[in-house]
Amino acid sequence: MMLLSLSFKIFARELRSGYLTSILVSLILAITIVSGISLFTDRLEKALNTETEEFLGGNLKFESNQNTAKDKIAEQDFEGINFMEMVLFASVIFADEDMQLSSVKAVDNAYPLIGELELENESGIFITKKNPDLGTVWMDERLQNLLNLNYGDKIFLGDSEFIFDATILYEPDRASGNFAFAPKTIMNLADVASTNIIQPGSRVEYNYLFSGNDENIRKVRDYLEIIKENGDDIESLSEDSSSLGRTIERSENFFLLGGLIAVLLSACTIGIASQRFTRRHVSYVAMLKTLGMQIFQIRMMYFLLFVFLTLLTLIIGLSLGWILQSQFIDLMSSYFPTELPVPGFYPILITCGTVVICQFGFIYPHITKLLAISPMRVLKDDISFSYGSIPVFVMGLIAFFLLLYLYTNQLTLSLIIFMGVIGFSVLGIGSIYFLLGKNKTGLGATGPMTLALSELRRRKLGNSFQIFAFTVAIGLSLITFSASQNLLGSWQTSIPDDSPNNFAINITPEDKNSMQSYLDENGIKSKPFYPVTNASILKKEKQDDEDLIDRNFNITWIEDLPEQNTISEGKWFDAYQVNGISVSDDIAERYKLEIGDEVYLKLGEQKIESYVQSIRVVNWDNFSPNFFVIGHPSLFENISSTYITSFYIPSNKQYLAADLMREFRTVSVFSIEELIEQVKEIIEQVTQALNSILLLTSLSALFLAFSALQDGFSVRKHQSAVLRTLGATNSLIKSSTLIEFTMLGVISGSLGSLVAYGGIYFIETRVFETSANFYPEISLLGPLLGITVVSSLCYYLINGITKQSPKKLLMQ
Amino acid sequence: MILEVNNLRKEVSSGDNQLVILDNVSFNLNEGQSLAITGPSGSGKSTLLGLLAGLDEASSGQIHLDGEALHELDEEQRAVLRKDKVGFVFQSFELLPSLTALENVMLPSELKAEDDPEQRAKYFLNRVGLSEREKHYPKQLSGGEQQRVAIARAFACSAKILFADEPTGNLDPKNGEMVSNLLFEVNSETDNALVIVTHDHDLADKCDKKIELKLGKIVE
Repeated sequence: MMLLSLSFKIFARELRSGYLTSILVSLILAITIVSGISLFTDRLEKALNTETEEFLGGNLKFESNQNTAKDKIAEQDFEGINFMEMVLFASVIFADEDMQLSSVKAVDNAYPLIGELELENESGIFITKKNPDLGTVWMDERLQNLLNLNYGDKIFLGDSEFIFDATILYEPDRASGNFAFAPKTIMNLADVASTNIIQPGSRVEYNYLFSGNDENIRKVRDYLEIIKENGDDIESLSEDSSSLGRTIERSENFFLLGGLIAVLLSACTIGIASQRFTRRHVSYVAMLKTLGMQIFQIRMMYFLLFVFLTLLTLIIGLSLGWILQSQFIDLMSSYFPTELPVPGFYPILITCGTVVICQFGFIYPHITKLLAISPMRVLKDDISFSYGSIPVFVMGLIAFFLLLYLYTNQLTLSLIIFMGVIGFSVLGIGSIYFLLGKNKTGLGATGPMTLALSELRRRKLGNSFQIFAFTVAIGLSLITFSASQNLLGSWQTSIPDDSPNNFAINITPEDKNSMQSYLDENGIKSKPFYPVTNASILKKEKQDDEDLIDRNFNITWIEDLPEQNTISEGKWFDAYQVNGISVSDDIAERYKLEIGDEVYLKLGEQKIESYVQSIRVVNWDNFSPNFFVIGHPSLFENISSTYITSFYIPSNKQYLAADLMREFRTVSVFSIEELIEQVKEIIEQVTQALNSILLLTSLSALFLAFSALQDGFSVRKHQSAVLRTLGATNSLIKSSTLIEFTMLGVISGSLGSLVAYGGIYFIETRVFETSANFYPEISLLGPLLGITVVSSLCYYLINGITKQSPKKLLMQ
Repeated sequence: MILEVNNLRKEVSSGDNQLVILDNVSFNLNEGQSLAITGPSGSGKSTLLGLLAGLDEASSGQIHLDGEALHELDEEQRAVLRKDKVGFVFQSFELLPSLTALENVMLPSELKAEDDPEQRAKYFLNRVGLSEREKHYPKQLSGGEQQRVAIARAFACSAKILFADEPTGNLDPKNGEMVSNLLFEVNSETDNALVIVTHDHDLADKCDKKIELKLGKIVE
């Protein structure tokens, strides 16, 4: 009890006197950043998973071109599994005088298995979790407009008549089907038979969706693997591979990286502050020991003191972290229209883990050192710590590694980063150390410049550390500045003004030439018209066994390599090599296809013998038609196909899209303007969130630099007092210190610019996958920022010293 | 006259009260003379030394150091005066830990921008018997050796007056004796005035003049 009250008294006194401020602020910063980021990413991940589930329509999907699987699945009567059936086909819908090709989705009564639909009718917008009533259909807005339909109007599908009941605003299972190119219609599965559309040989896709817990889903999957036939496909929850999903996922990694840097910088500040704390407590501990207090009691007293500190920092840090994640969520609210899921325990766990590791790695070793002080210190002032610095350093490194492991959860990655950071720091600090050159005899106190240069050399290690901290602070600040100024612009300039904003698909060979003419007449420049058909690939093994790659691909045949495709292996077609195929690198990797592998291409009833001639890297975000598999035209003569193209319609000619669809009835045109807008918006929001993280991280770096500077100034305080006693004027001390720190500022600023160039390159090319740009202002801003920040901090600190009389300083 | 002190008074505020540390202190000292300031703890000895050396400002009274009115100078002017005319030896040595013995002794000459401060420093280090230790840092020297380096530094600046605050206070009797002898020996070679604040009566007896302070006043 005595210990509790004593340690609380010391804690309160230290807090009031401001001696704990550095440790307190650093811990709060670390907790704020870690909890803010982990709370946000946890909720974001949950939301993305939910969205991916919704996108798929269930936890597992079985696609087949035949309806034979249904009975087999029904026989199994899986426990704990919800199951639904949907049938997808394309058909022309008639309404009065209009007709239009539509992608029809017929769903049973279990629809939707996951999520809900947002519909609109004459009463307004509403949410539903059921399929359309018998005799009614729902259509998307595009189809409604093309057919000029009002709610309650009649439409004809095959032999049946239906009532147009509602407009589809949002449907959960958007990933369904090969027919999704045309405007969408949803109908009741029980109505399909009466339409007589599905006849033997009709192109129909049967989808079976399952939802349940992981174990039950695994059982279903195992069974589906057994009954799966050629051309069938099993899809399960996988990561969202959309452009937006990837941008957010990469940003998440960047957030965590920024958070990790901030925590490590804060940990260094905590280390410096703890060192100062123990220096101040040396006499105190020696006195307590002299008075008979046992080591375990003193240890307990300091342990309790840091428990109070931890509780206080956790309360403040977690509250600020919650505010930070709320800000991020507000920023991204338009991407997630519904409220994000509540966070789990992981963010709290990772935050507490961070605090514990920081305490044991960066504070506890100093306290152990403090406890080892001899009680003789009471009698002899010059008795210092008997405990070496190496254990403190080793504990710091262990804590650093543990933090890395806590954040990455991967041993190898943690080891790589650990060795990388150690290597970079040793190299960085070492280079600065050697750059500053060898000491000359004497302090060089003859003038401000000689004194400044001598001090720079004399305090090489401390200066190198300070330069390192300032470099990180300035580098991160410049990245923040550049990201807020240039990132969106850089992404926008990476998309040419006339890059396609519309895709046209299902163009028949008969329409191809007239559509090209139509576009030319209207001044619309299009990309090439690519023939496209659906094919499955059979891998021809050496033993002549046929091994089917379990999915169908859209395949095209052209002579020239498409734009933004690059050959990574093998050769593109030339006059002598036209019988092979070119596959995208991800397909080659997924299906273990190598150059020279022999394959059959199965197109309907036809079978073409070929081999893998080249592997391509495809830029999927280039707003042009892209293909997993490409062949040479000579191999596909007499193969029937439709065509696909993309083109740019300027905003003043948007009406052309609808005109085009009226002119060419089978052609579907869809705009990707909305997608571009969405990507733009998400980049803007992610940039803002990134800036917040970077700002907090640069604040941590600045705080570390200031702490290091402050620590260095305690030595300068004594030196300045001695020099002034010996007759050095204040102006000599001030001007030499300012010169010294201006030089430190220039070096840190220049190195900071280099760090910023590296960081910006990484963000542009890896996080946002845009082209890298050079920003000349960074090379000027870095040194300027360095001079301003470092010399201002230095002026503040040196002014505090020179204001006091040398006698007073010597007595401290 | 190197030092002329008239009606010196120093007050400090402590909360609402004014504490008088020194009151009506007056004395003179000629060139080449030595003066011991003695008195019990808290009598104002070190405060007086600080005022005489221009390290602090008096509340009232006058100090003339080598003809210059110290009480009329600001901190920058006092710093110049200290550089040109004053040397110091402190109880806690006040050597700069990051400089070697030689570099510590070079400091005053460097501040004066004198030619070849290294040679001059080497001469004085040799004079205090520490030629072999010139490359050593203060941490690597004993207390007696550190004080000898401080003495070498005080004489290396060609001062006109040397102030020593308890120069033997942190040393054992043997080292204390050695340091005090050295102080007077080297001083006799220079014609400097010497002002020593000390508790040590033996050391005080070696001086030409003595003043004793009690509660901030000179006891006759």
